[in-house]
Order: sequence, then structure tokens, then C-alpha cells
Amino acid sequence: MPEISKLPDVTISDCAAAVGAFFAGAFTQLDGWRQVLSEGETTVRPAELDARVEALVRPALTGASPLFVGAGFIAAPGYVRGRDIHFAWWLGPQAGNPLLGSSSAATRLDLATRAYTDYVHDFRTLEWYQVPQSTNQTHVTGPYVDRLCTCEYIFTLTMPVRIGEGTPMLGVVGADISVRHLESIVLPLFLAADRPLALVTAVDRVVVSTDPTLQVGQLASQTGDSVACSGLPFRVLVGPDRPPRF
Amino acid sequence: MEAHNRPGAREAIFAQLIDAGRTEQVTARLTDAIILGVLAPDERLPSESDLARRFGVALITVREGLAGLRDAGLVETRRGRGGGSFVMKADAPHSTLVQARLHGLAQVDLSDMAVHFATIVEGCAQRAALHASEPDSDRLDLWLRGADFATVAGARTNAGGFYLELAVLSQSARLVRDLIRLQAEFGPLLLLGMTDARARRSLLASSQAIAGAVRANDAAAARQFATEQVRSLAEWLLNAKARVERGGAWDA
Repeated sequence: MPEISKLPDVTISDCAAAVGAFFAGAFTQLDGWRQVLSEGETTVRPAELDARVEALVRPALTGASPLFVGAGFIAAPGYVRGRDIHFAWWLGPQAGNPLLGSSSAATRLDLATRAYTDYVHDFRTLEWYQVPQSTNQTHVTGPYVDRLCTCEYIFTLTMPVRIGEGTPMLGVVGADISVRHLESIVLPLFLAADRPLALVTAVDRVVVSTDPTLQVGQLASQTGDSVACSGLPFRVLVGPDRPPRF
Repeated sequence: MEAHNRPGAREAIFAQLIDAGRTEQVTARLTDAIILGVLAPDERLPSESDLARRFGVALITVREGLAGLRDAGLVETRRGRGGGSFVMKADAPHSTLVQARLHGLAQVDLSDMAVHFATIVEGCAQRAALHASEPDSDRLDLWLRGADFATVAGARTNAGGFYLELAVLSQSARLVRDLIRLQAEFGPLLLLGMTDARARRSLLASSQAIAGAVRANDAAAARQFATEQVRSLAEWLLNAKARVERGGAWDA
């Protein structure tokens, strides 16, 4: 990472481009998984699918600074033999998670406990599944606090998997990215710009900000200049030049 | 004048992490969930190793805790394939056990738990109203419309679920984590009143009022409705406690 003081003049477009590049990189990884999982038959045995998914995602969840906090494949009804609902989803190491305790290795998400039953029952209506299914496009959900697994503030990236164009969707590949991770990548650049900036989502929710009056999680209401992040429904807002309150 | 660092925040860093009596804590947590109806008859508990990981205790502690539940006739252990620890079917509601639980807790502790819980829920409701987008409000309304508050079991599950939805809308991972921990400790007791049909109707109505305030981005109203809602739950609980102490039945 370059030292902030040595960065040349950083523009708002550079910041928007860095956010776009970060997500594009994550989607490139998902696309690799998608290609592997799209090769095969129109149905699959559960154990075979699980082994394939685990081999793909496990390396992305561990290591020094893993990009993803969770990743896997959610099958469409009919794809996995004998299963209406099938989640092949792994979580990275957890520390003091109030739901899952602590673990030093990646672990499979266990849907057997009752708390998950209602949630997964309606998974076809949930944004991270429903949008890629209906648009056949990649989708970013969030950020939101994941109350079922990680209890962290995350994005969920999903991508539809099909054998060929026009064929029914087999399911979605997906990965969860913590807001903290995105911040660690793009904040240095945001700080090097000469104006306060805020990255906001399609609903104007602040995700990363160098304007302390626009805090992460709140909805930004100002209508200043902004630059869209390519390939994403996000944009970088220019905050007003105002004197510090303190 | 020279500023002094007063004791307080510094000393809290070194405070004891976890109370003694972990086995008792495991037993108490699961007993509450069973006798107060959050865990249903015939429901299978997570495996012993899974429980140990989630509670953050040793396997032996979980085994001792489960042994306590077996002795109390609350769970049974089935061997073999599909085995594990299952919640026992009770012939009658666990009235005697609820009675004993209410008698065993001091009024001052029940009130204090309610204060703690209310403070977190109020914060969640206020922040949710501040931060909810229109799609968020749509999802909250949809959630509430689909939630059963007519039955006792439904109201218990969904009252807790609604608080969690509010915490999620606060956008704060810490509030979500705190709420999960508090609900684990205190949720079943606080929702004791859900056996009462009038209390269930009132809880649904005030939940709808909170959701309305969230949609209107009216943080003060959302907070006020949450205060009143937790206050009614606490009043129900304290009334039940008083009935028990007078020698009556908690749900009379």
C-alpha cells in the first residue's frame, strides 16, 4: 500500500474506481467458482456438490487476511437430488461470535438448528437469491448486520450459476465481505483526496467515509457532487467543506 | 489543576471475564429455554461438542449441565443414529419449575434485567428509525405481517425475532451481538407473559407502532414505544413474581 503522503493528487474518480476494482476482483473469484460449478449435469448428489464447493471456497476463507468471511453455493430447488433446500456454505474463523462461539478453522454452516429454519424456508424471496435469479446478473446486497452467522457488518455478493444460456439456474455462488475489509483497502486513498468523501450505496447508506459528520451506517442526505463506482450501484459523494465542530 | 485518571474504565479492563459456576449457567440457560417454552418438546439440542463451542465452555461442563437437565426430567438422551439430547414432552406445563424460578430470582434483579434489556431495545428502535431506508421499512412490515403473535409459541419466538430485526436495522453489529446475548440470558423470562392472550395482542400492537415510527424515521417515537413495550413485559413478569410470593400460581 502506498504511503498516503506520497500519493499524487487523488481525485474522487480515483476513489470510485478503487471501490469498483475491489468488487470486480471479488467477482472475478466468484466467476471462477461459477465456471467450475456450471460444468456438470442438471442434478447432483449432495455429497458430491459439497465436496466441490468446499474445495473451491475453503482457501478463500483462511490465511492472513482473507477476503471473505463466508462463501459457498446455494442450490436452486430441484438441482440437488432429494433436497428442496441445500446450502453448501462455509464460514471463516470466528472469534467470540455470540451464536457460534470461536473457531480457528473454516466451518460449515449448520442449518439444522431451528433458528435458521424459518429463514431458509423463504430463501427464494431474499434479495441475495432473488435478484441474481430474476436479472441473471451479479448482485451486491448490503451492507447489513448478519444476524444469522457472522454477527458482522457485511456485504453479500452473489452470482447466478447456469449450465448454459437460457437454462434454469442451478443456484447462486456467493461470498460475504466485511465492511472492515473494504475499508482497509480503500480508506487510504479516500484520505489522500483533498475533500471529505463518503462511499454510499443505492439507498445512500454510508459505508466508508472521511467526513466525520457522515458516519458509517447512516443515510446521507446531501446532494453534492458524486461519481458512480463502475459495475456497482454505489457512488462516492463529495462532502461539504465545513469547519470542524471541535 | 492537574487532571487525574480516576478508577473506573481502567479497572474494568481487568474485571473477571466469566463468573464461576459454568455448569450451573449451562443448566440454567437451557432450563429457562425449556420451561418457558422457547425450546419445544421433542426438539433436538445441538450436539455436546457444538454446545461446548457455542457456550465457550469445556465438553465436560456441557455434559455435567445436561446431566442436571436429565435429572430434572427436562431432556432425555437417545442413543444411536439420529440420537442426541431431546426436550422431553411435559405432561403438564412446567408450572412448578417456573414457580421455583420466579421465587429464586430477587425482585431487584428482575427489575434490573428489564432495565438493561429496555436500554438496548430502546437504542435499537431509535437507531433503526434514524437509519432505515424505505426498502428496510418494507421488509420490517412484511416480517411483522408474516409473524404469528396469536399462539403462545409464536408470540415467544416472534417477539424476540422482532427485537433482532430492529437491532439489524440499527446497522450496529455490537447492538446485534449485545441483544443476542441479553435475549439468551433474559428473553425467555421476560416473555413469560406471552401465555396471556391480552399481552400478546398488546405486544403485537406496540410492535406495529414501533414499525410505523421506523417507517416515519421518527426516532423519538420509536424509542418511546419500545420503552413502553418492554415496561409492560416487565410489569407482567413482576406481577407473576408477586403472585408466586403470595403463595399463588404465577399464571393465575
